[in-house]
Amino acid sequence: MRSIIALLLLAASVFAQDVRTHTLANGMKMLVQEDHGIPNVAMYFFYRIGSRNERPGATGLSHFFEHMMFNGAKKYGPKMFDQTMDNLGGNNNAYTTNDLTVYTDWFPSAALETMFDMEADRIRDLAFDPKIIESERGVVYSERRSSVDNNNFGALSELAEASAFVAHPYHWPVVGWPSDIESWTMDDLKSHFRMGYAPNNCVMVLVGDVKFDNALALAKRYLEPIPRHDPPPPVRTREPEQQGERRVTLSKPAQLPIVIVLYHIPDSRHPDMHALDVVQAVLASGQSSRLYRRMVDIDQLALQVGAGSRPGLDPSLFQFTIQPRSVVDPTATEKALYEELAKLQDQAVPAAELRKAKNQMLANLYRQQKTIAGRANLLGQYEIYAGDYAKLFTEDQAIEAVTAADVQRVVRQYFTAKNRTVATLIPEKKEVKQ
Amino acid sequence: MKPLLCVLAVCAPLAAQIKLPAYTRDVLPNGTALYLMQRPGLPLVHFRILVKGGIESDPPTLAGLSSITAELLQRGAGLRSAAQFSEELDSLGGTFLAAAGEQSTSIAAEFLTKDFDQGVSLVADAVLHPQFRQDEVGKALARRVDGVKSAKDNPGAINSYFRSFFFGAAHPYGRVPDEASYGRMRRDDIATYHQRMFAGRNLVAIAVGDFDPAAAKARLSAAFEGAPTGAAYAWAEDRPPAAANRVLLVDKPDATQTYFIIARPGVRRSTPDRAALLLVNELFGGRFTSMLNEALRIDSGLTYGASSSLQMSRLTGALYIGTYTKTETTEKAMDLALDVLKRLREKGLTADRLASAKSYMKGNYPPNNVQTIDQLAGALADIELFGLDRNEVDQFFARVDAVSLEQANEVVRRYYRPEDLTFVVLGNASKIRQVVSKYGREVRERSVSQPGWAGI
Repeated sequence: MRSIIALLLLAASVFAQDVRTHTLANGMKMLVQEDHGIPNVAMYFFYRIGSRNERPGATGLSHFFEHMMFNGAKKYGPKMFDQTMDNLGGNNNAYTTNDLTVYTDWFPSAALETMFDMEADRIRDLAFDPKIIESERGVVYSERRSSVDNNNFGALSELAEASAFVAHPYHWPVVGWPSDIESWTMDDLKSHFRMGYAPNNCVMVLVGDVKFDNALALAKRYLEPIPRHDPPPPVRTREPEQQGERRVTLSKPAQLPIVIVLYHIPDSRHPDMHALDVVQAVLASGQSSRLYRRMVDIDQLALQVGAGSRPGLDPSLFQFTIQPRSVVDPTATEKALYEELAKLQDQAVPAAELRKAKNQMLANLYRQQKTIAGRANLLGQYEIYAGDYAKLFTEDQAIEAVTAADVQRVVRQYFTAKNRTVATLIPEKKEVKQ
Repeated sequence: MKPLLCVLAVCAPLAAQIKLPAYTRDVLPNGTALYLMQRPGLPLVHFRILVKGGIESDPPTLAGLSSITAELLQRGAGLRSAAQFSEELDSLGGTFLAAAGEQSTSIAAEFLTKDFDQGVSLVADAVLHPQFRQDEVGKALARRVDGVKSAKDNPGAINSYFRSFFFGAAHPYGRVPDEASYGRMRRDDIATYHQRMFAGRNLVAIAVGDFDPAAAKARLSAAFEGAPTGAAYAWAEDRPPAAANRVLLVDKPDATQTYFIIARPGVRRSTPDRAALLLVNELFGGRFTSMLNEALRIDSGLTYGASSSLQMSRLTGALYIGTYTKTETTEKAMDLALDVLKRLREKGLTADRLASAKSYMKGNYPPNNVQTIDQLAGALADIELFGLDRNEVDQFFARVDAVSLEQANEVVRRYYRPEDLTFVVLGNASKIRQVVSKYGREVRERSVSQPGWAGI
């Protein structure tokens, strides 16, 4: 299985040489990777501002602001950002996380200069129309109803995370609490803009049918004149160490229960993260994974089981999500999970299984780079979370370096009863009308 | 076959036609169609195996048969047990996804090029030699029944209710698998279905990626030429759903939001109107700035999203509006959606809107259709399944450009009609029953706690 690694190193080195960088005088960093396979460009802006930079009473503001970024600025008024992109054959979206707000544009290369003009316009001179704010508030509330209030997995996940974090801002949901969605003011939006939308707090990534020199000239013309200012203040609060299992329940009309089990883990730059990624693959990647075999296949305890962690600028969570079968007591699925974790603590992962997990991780990393959009996203994520986009190109070595002993050590360290939060959705049985 | 190099419009100007890279099509003696497309670059290969039929070929009382057959392909095949199959697949870092679509069962698998032979072996074993062991069949069927229950815990279930109600049990697209159909299914049904359908004359094998075409052809031919010739699947006759005013209300008592679909019969995938229809639908309810999303989201804040969907299947499908809003604004949102439909109908489209839709469609075409090996495999699959040719891609821009304003507005008049509409509404019935009753003479009602779907 060594050649899988050789292939990745080869491709990675080609990619790494392709990326060129520059930091504008105002502190905005740009990464450019030329790829002329299709006549299109992916342009991503990563702002280091997310729900962790919010405060109680104004939760969800980063995400609301993300929506407002499409509602008009000084030169390009309401609706014009989207309509102009439509006319040029482009498309866009954006996403907000606990840590970041990311704007994603995809367009034919001929639209490049207009995109620089429009992006500069909205990050310098965003407009706030009270009528549009009210309308967009309704949109965001509807998004919350769809992803949380009317989605059992979303509702339970929100409760679980709020229980796992009692002090740190990861306690509240990215979309915001309902009462805060109802209460955001124009002043909240303006102060959020002042706090986080600094060019020196942003990384721009361009991948696709673009020339570095041209992109640099356009960046100097459109983005460099935007003055730098202070980035968001540091997040001071650290989550105190959890000192005992926490259990919460959510009662809802449903036919099947759900179980979410969370463990505190370090932030993304911590050296244990690669070993934790291997744990994810061993436990839940593919039908040969330990949890699938045990819970879905052999014991028939669960309809589905998943595991994973999300990146974090601050210490984050490792999440197990289980949907128990209709006749199964949810605690039986919990018990099976803990038994599998205990096995990983007691016995080192066999070499072949470790090899399998690494191959899955390497192949996945590779597949994410098939599209210009996928590469733009990865480059930005590595620049922010690993501190250097080039870490993407040594990721394969970092994966390779994980040993069975590392895996055993991190499972013993993090997957303890004291460090876990268990959330269970318990179906409220209604009388069935036939 | 010549190596093809970035035929894909290297540094092409904005509207230069995108061309499908060169490919070969051969037919094996047993009838299997074999497509090969070489794409230098990433050392990956994508396999796409199609078995003609899909859910269209499900027996009327066994809805879901093609789907469960697809799921079981990798649960033991050839000499490999289910555990050995997944162990080998995962050890290669490969992917394997088998699912039943409206007109075909599709197996999509991706491997590193160096694992080409092992990949072919896994895929061919799964497609041609599944074991369908009784214990695996039993486990999969039991999971499916729970899967139906789990689906009803989510408002996304409206899509199944809609298909069941709009097409009805007499139509293949209306036979949505449920607790009863899975309850009736036996191992023999699955094995017999596989024997009948997974035969040379129904098989299409596609490989796209960074490989040597001659060697790839030899390897794939060897793997699939052993399949029995069998009988070609006799496609179902197209009996378009009737346009009729009907209303289904699905009660989900804990819902704080109402989800609704408004539908009329649409078209077949191969309709000559498809370029004009795609443009019109983009403007009506496709892209973010569409008429529907502008009215229901951007201007009013009633919803997170409103869209219009055009089903593109072998048989005549549905053309439908889909959106959601909080319970209290159900009537406002439904009326507004209907107003937008009437406005399209009465005012038609303008030349500048049509021009914008053309730019949008062409500009977004390359990244969404010809960028990756899986997208290219999908393009070849469409060509084979719907009786098209490479002009489907090569002449796409020309067909889009050729649509006149008159043609676009004619398509509006023919398909976007505000009468004889089917409504499916999912929400808290006790709060919206009265409102919903105004959209039809008769309202059929179901609860998410009941087994089955629309019950017709």
